[in-house]
Amino acid sequence: MSSVTLRGYSVVRAGRASFLLHRRSALVALGLLVALAGTVVASLCLGESTVSPAEVVKVVLGRPSPDQLVVGEFRLPRVVVGLLVGTALGLAGALIQTVARNPLASPDVVGVTWGATATVVGLTAYGVVGSTGQAPYAAVAGGLVAGLLVYALAWRRGLHAQRFVLIGIGISVALSSLTSVFLTKGDGFQAQAAKVWMTGSLNGSGYDQAGWLAWVLLAALPVALWAARAQRSISFDDATAVGLGLRLDRIRLGMALLGIVLASCAAGAAGPVDFVALMAPQIALRLARSAQVPLFCSALTGALVVVLADLIARRLLAPTELPVGVVTGMVGAPYLMWLLIRSRRGGS
Amino acid sequence: MSAHQPSTDQPPSGRLSSGHRLEARGLTLAYDARTVVEDLDVRIPDGRVTVIVGPNACGKSTLLRALGRLLKPAAGAVLLDGQELARIPTKRIAQRLGLLPQSPTAPEGISVADLVSRGRQPHQSWWQQWSPEDEAAVSEALERTSTADLAERSMDELSGGQRQRAWIAMALAQGTDILLLDEPTTYLDIAHQVEVLDLVRRLNVERGRTVVAVLHDLNQAARYADHLVAMRDGRVVAQGPPGDVVTAELVREVFGLDSVVVPDPVTGTPLVVPGAPWVAEAEKAAVVEA
Repeated sequence: MSSVTLRGYSVVRAGRASFLLHRRSALVALGLLVALAGTVVASLCLGESTVSPAEVVKVVLGRPSPDQLVVGEFRLPRVVVGLLVGTALGLAGALIQTVARNPLASPDVVGVTWGATATVVGLTAYGVVGSTGQAPYAAVAGGLVAGLLVYALAWRRGLHAQRFVLIGIGISVALSSLTSVFLTKGDGFQAQAAKVWMTGSLNGSGYDQAGWLAWVLLAALPVALWAARAQRSISFDDATAVGLGLRLDRIRLGMALLGIVLASCAAGAAGPVDFVALMAPQIALRLARSAQVPLFCSALTGALVVVLADLIARRLLAPTELPVGVVTGMVGAPYLMWLLIRSRRGGS
Repeated sequence: MSAHQPSTDQPPSGRLSSGHRLEARGLTLAYDARTVVEDLDVRIPDGRVTVIVGPNACGKSTLLRALGRLLKPAAGAVLLDGQELARIPTKRIAQRLGLLPQSPTAPEGISVADLVSRGRQPHQSWWQQWSPEDEAAVSEALERTSTADLAERSMDELSGGQRQRAWIAMALAQGTDILLLDEPTTYLDIAHQVEVLDLVRRLNVERGRTVVAVLHDLNQAARYADHLVAMRDGRVVAQGPPGDVVTAELVREVFGLDSVVVPDPVTGTPLVVPGAPWVAEAEKAAVVEA
């Protein structure tokens, strides 16, 4: 049922319970799901050998197929990891942009990405960890520590949004310098391996490296639902939000923590995949035309960008496979710019 | 919740009620080490319009922020229905007390109806996101503030006066008995100032809402207030009905300004006319000769 006074929203009632649905966001989410399904099937079909969509569907459904090895063992895990990483990054970006009240904020800006990178590169370059085995743990730990440090330093009688971004930039710059030091000081071969990790790649991704990300996302779902509701008042200035009864400090801490955890885990699973967390929420916002960054559309946009970028990364210079992080910017940036140019919204 | 506390379901107290649901006792307010308000007592009469006036940096907005729990007292307390504000869950406060900051910011591109609907947040929960009461409260708020015609428009497209009416509609949709307004007429031209203040007055009379506003203009304060609180240097210098409070002595004491106070030709309330403006010596001589 549509609301009479509130155009653009639908109200779903069940007894005394009622749910408010932003119609355009719901439609965009549906569209993104369809596009995502198409991209996933295309990713599973295309490769050194082309597999028909019918065979792909068979494999995904677990039916016997001659293409089981190529699709099921080689391509599917990589696509699934891409989906998980993209979802995590899109959601993390939306949460952090909401907390920072800044469309330029993202895990890359508030220290998480560089925290993960510096830790992995440092430990890899000095041979403490092998670049595949323990790197995810190192990345998660490094991202978490850096993100929490930035949040703590930005705290002064409550979180100051601008301090959050500025301190994040400061810490990120310091950590990127540190990363450069590790790369030059470290052993040549190890440093090379670290450099590959730094571009963000899904090459050789398997369930064992990223399956746990599915559990993290599942656990994040209730928190995201809670955050989505609070977003209706958190997008005002602080005084208005408090006046509406929002426990501002608590909700911001919850949103920032979830964003930091998700971004750290994404970096752990695939390395730092550039730009997805920044642009996915902004693309989703312009598609959904909602008053605040739409969390679920952002997550879906993130997934779509990463899976599509990885498909391009695999096929563009085939048989050479590019790291996905090289392509995400190439896919998303022109689209975001096109949206910015034709939309009525400014960049602010 | 303790049993002796008045329920929020009670009808709003009428204009004749002499209770004080909102009051400050021994209130000291400070930003870091700088004390702005010290040991202040103020009681807000129910169902009346209280206006706080005073020179820049006298602590009037700071006091309003504290009354709206935006600033924690360094000492003393703000009491709402006899209970310390700091001890009431913020959402419960939001069901009884609404506030409109001096320059509120809305999400970019939000429509007026969407904005006003967000005033219902304190009455909603995860599983009750839009009740028939919410719907009714929002359309009533749009109606009362004459913003129903603007409902589909984006806030960005509105004039200053229209935008301020939309914000007031949002505070109204919140359905609180007490409304705090921080300089609601700033940045508005004189016609829009009058429009907003008349609206506030109407809400007070027709709905029995208690209003506390900070105003810059002493004459407007005298026109619209039932109860005037004059502040200087973080202290209350005088309070009471404008007719009793506003005198040339008070204006000198509070603002350090020489003035003549005459009855307002329209309302009969005190009208402060500042002393003669500065003129050049040559002009003065010319005036004397003529």
